[in-house]
Amino acid sequence: MTLTLRIVLIISSIISFLLCIKKIKQAKLKVENSVIWMIGSIVLIIMSVFSKAVEWISNKLGFMAPVNFVFLIIIGFLLIQTFVDNIRISSLNEKIKDLNHYIALKEKKN
Amino acid sequence: MSKKVLIIVPAYNEALNIEKTIKDLTSQTNYDYLIINDCSKDNTKEICEKNNFNILSLPINYGLTSGIQVGMKYAYQNKYEIVIQFDGDGQHQAKFLKDLVKEIEDETCNIAIGSRFVTKKKPISMRMFGSILLTLAIKITTGKTIKDPTSGMRAYDKKAIEQFVNNSGLTPEPDTLVYMLKKKMKIKEVQVEMKEREFGESYLKPIKSAQYMINMFFSILFIRAIARKSK
Repeated sequence: MTLTLRIVLIISSIISFLLCIKKIKQAKLKVENSVIWMIGSIVLIIMSVFSKAVEWISNKLGFMAPVNFVFLIIIGFLLIQTFVDNIRISSLNEKIKDLNHYIALKEKKN
Repeated sequence: MSKKVLIIVPAYNEALNIEKTIKDLTSQTNYDYLIINDCSKDNTKEICEKNNFNILSLPINYGLTSGIQVGMKYAYQNKYEIVIQFDGDGQHQAKFLKDLVKEIEDETCNIAIGSRFVTKKKPISMRMFGSILLTLAIKITTGKTIKDPTSGMRAYDKKAIEQFVNNSGLTPEPDTLVYMLKKKMKIKEVQVEMKEREFGESYLKPIKSAQYMINMFFSILFIRAIARKSK
């Protein structure tokens, strides 16, 4: 891992960590939804600080470069996050639909 | 024995057609009807209220599927035994509904489809190409032939209504037919004629057609086809 990449990762992780805390305080983000982002930031910081360990694992797994390994982890994390969000949106959608039906049927009775 | 029949008429921005459709329904049949106003932006609601039509108004626009589902819930709560899905855009003709209801009352099937192609051949066009592909997909997955899978004129019996009430994933589309067939229900087609749209836009705009086809194929081949046998 190059020094530039490590610095960029550390800075952006700290910013996103602080952003999470700010949004929670503003009540724009729920704690249970933001913990995963904070954990993600911490993992990235750890990986940047102990880059030798990352390089060793990446070599053992047969990656061409350690940076590929880091990117793969980030992409995997993001894919899982979008999928989880997708499920959440679908379930919210169902709830709003049920509410929509409930209001319409109730108004019809009155 | 005659059963309690409810005709569901989903309507979204159908101000130009709805009066005609309901007059056709009330003059040709004695069945109850319910207009599902899917939060129309035009004056569909005002026209219905002015004419004292039986209308259910949804507070949020949620699409055709939601409209049919709420109609099914209403039918279930009010103990209707047959539900007919009937388009409010003037394409369907009420004089054919008796034939559909008769099939279900005689218990020859659970779902009766008002089909354009039982005795007549499909004309050749892009739209019919889609219809042929869907017929093929249904044939592959269930072994049954449904000549007009996209027809929006369908009658459902009590068993099918219960399925709709209990499973919010069911749509008034061809993939649900596969689901129902897998649940060992019988589907029968009855020859009807349909008119071309007179006014307004259809739910299925040309641009959305491709997306619709892809959704239907994935649903039929990968989801409905491997649904578990009835519990």
